[in-house]
Amino acid sequence: MHILVAAKQVLDPDGINSYALWGRLEVSEDGLGFNTGATVPQIINAYDEQAMEAALQIAEVQEGTRVTAVTVGSDTAPDVLKRCYAMGAENTIHVHDDEKQSGNPFRISQILATVAKNLGDVDLILCGRQGSDYDQGAVPAILSEDLGMPFITMASQINFDEQTQSLHVDVVTPNGPETLACNLPAVVAVSNEIGQPRYPSSRRMIQSRRNPPTVFRADELLPGPATEKMSIKLLTVPEVQGNCEIIEGVDPKEKAKHLLQILRERGDLNV
Amino acid sequence: MSDPILVLAHIDETSQINIGAREALGFAQNLSENTGRPVECGLIGADNSSATAEVTELGATKVYTIEDSLLARFSGDNMVSAAAHIVSSSGARIVLIGRHPSTLEFIPRLSRRIDGTCVMNVTRIETINEQYTEIEAAVYGGAARALYQIDSTSPVVVGLRPAAAEAPTPHPENSSDIVELNLELLADRVRVITEATADEGPRLENAEIVVSGGRGLQNAENFALVRELANLLKGMPGASRAIVDEYWAPPTEQIGLTGTTVAPALYVAAGISGASQHMAGCSNARLIVAINSDPDAPIFKYADVGIIDDCLAVLPELIELLR
Repeated sequence: MHILVAAKQVLDPDGINSYALWGRLEVSEDGLGFNTGATVPQIINAYDEQAMEAALQIAEVQEGTRVTAVTVGSDTAPDVLKRCYAMGAENTIHVHDDEKQSGNPFRISQILATVAKNLGDVDLILCGRQGSDYDQGAVPAILSEDLGMPFITMASQINFDEQTQSLHVDVVTPNGPETLACNLPAVVAVSNEIGQPRYPSSRRMIQSRRNPPTVFRADELLPGPATEKMSIKLLTVPEVQGNCEIIEGVDPKEKAKHLLQILRERGDLNV
Repeated sequence: MSDPILVLAHIDETSQINIGAREALGFAQNLSENTGRPVECGLIGADNSSATAEVTELGATKVYTIEDSLLARFSGDNMVSAAAHIVSSSGARIVLIGRHPSTLEFIPRLSRRIDGTCVMNVTRIETINEQYTEIEAAVYGGAARALYQIDSTSPVVVGLRPAAAEAPTPHPENSSDIVELNLELLADRVRVITEATADEGPRLENAEIVVSGGRGLQNAENFALVRELANLLKGMPGASRAIVDEYWAPPTEQIGLTGTTVAPALYVAAGISGASQHMAGCSNARLIVAINSDPDAPIFKYADVGIIDDCLAVLPELIELLR
């Protein structure tokens, strides 16, 4: 089986979150990034790392499985490919694209679809359920449409069933876990329930330097002039107005008592 | 300029529209007042008759309906085909879809199928003109907003952020044109091997009182305190993503950006720091009570009432007092 894993580089969401929590998140001059400088590193999107983990779990069971990792992004994007290689990807592909285009999931999907078609023998495409930057989660489903493949999202476990030659996917739903099945080729988006991704091996981390990604330019892969039907014009940071009444009390018991008193007076309790 | 605003909803075996569809109808009504476009609704399900009446009362002037027993359960392939048929029948260029477990699949696939665009987690629509539409969405886990500029010549499918608008007031005297559409359906390429049985009991997203726990609980056993308090308050327990990842609570109880969004009358956050990803799932609560030992915890910025103390000391006292 040949598995293609799509991974994206994002600003560390924990770092962005810390800035936001302390009210210090500021949008940069061009309106499209943040003034966090080098204090917030660029990392592999966590859901995509989990997609990589899911691919390697399949490869462990399914003999002869190859894993290829692909990323679309600018100059720093290959760092995520190094990580994928160190985790166990055999080949890596970097599609160089202008950072300003990263808010257009239709463009990213078209690029990924072309990569998959050019590889020719891809059986399964794994993606993270969404990027932690724009939280849109649109690329995996659009990609399934672009390629005419079945689509499953919120995967927590992926198995290839030898008997039926089909993919069995456990998914997370609000009603609890379900198992779905589809034939290959397919696109599957992975959620955090897949489990902790393995740590990259240091040996392969070093080897990754001698195994650089195959590089393409986005416009080589896009059919004709790219459709530019959507883009992000501006980022803003919403204000959070703090106005919290702190409950006094000498000990937890008294504070608890006061809290219930306030809630009862407001009519918020029916007990 | 009078192309309609189209709200799309899946009607499951309850035959009712869900909270997301009601919010989408409210959002559509606000947009309709500002732009003069009529509100229309497309219903896809096994039995849409009572939902048709419901959306009419909630302001839809025209209701497109596609009914088939194959549509009782959300089936991506058939839902996308049915929705694409409704969008092209209506001529809508603004398509609104409210919160629903299927949106991660449904919205992007539909937008691609109709050769349009999509934006998820939308907070508001700023501008609509002949050239472009400007749409604001919550990004970076809710820590920021992005203004998307979208080409107006093709339809845009808008996935609304939970609680982006309130449900409209029902008007029983309303009437609507009903358009029944037909479509040949096929077996979905994705087969169901084992199905989750929908819990007949109360649902977290509808809970009036939610008690949530986070890392401040220290260990899995202490989540029992959250459950017990929720129980005593006749509410439901919730959890932060951090402790769901630690298996202290099941994913079905996760509240936040990637879990359930709640808008209860009372939200008690115990040992939760208040990351924007979590607040995205509960900031619309009418009253937020925070219990946290760290007076600088960001949760106190969102909370209306706060107790600065260890939640492991306060929760047992609350339980004791309510018993």
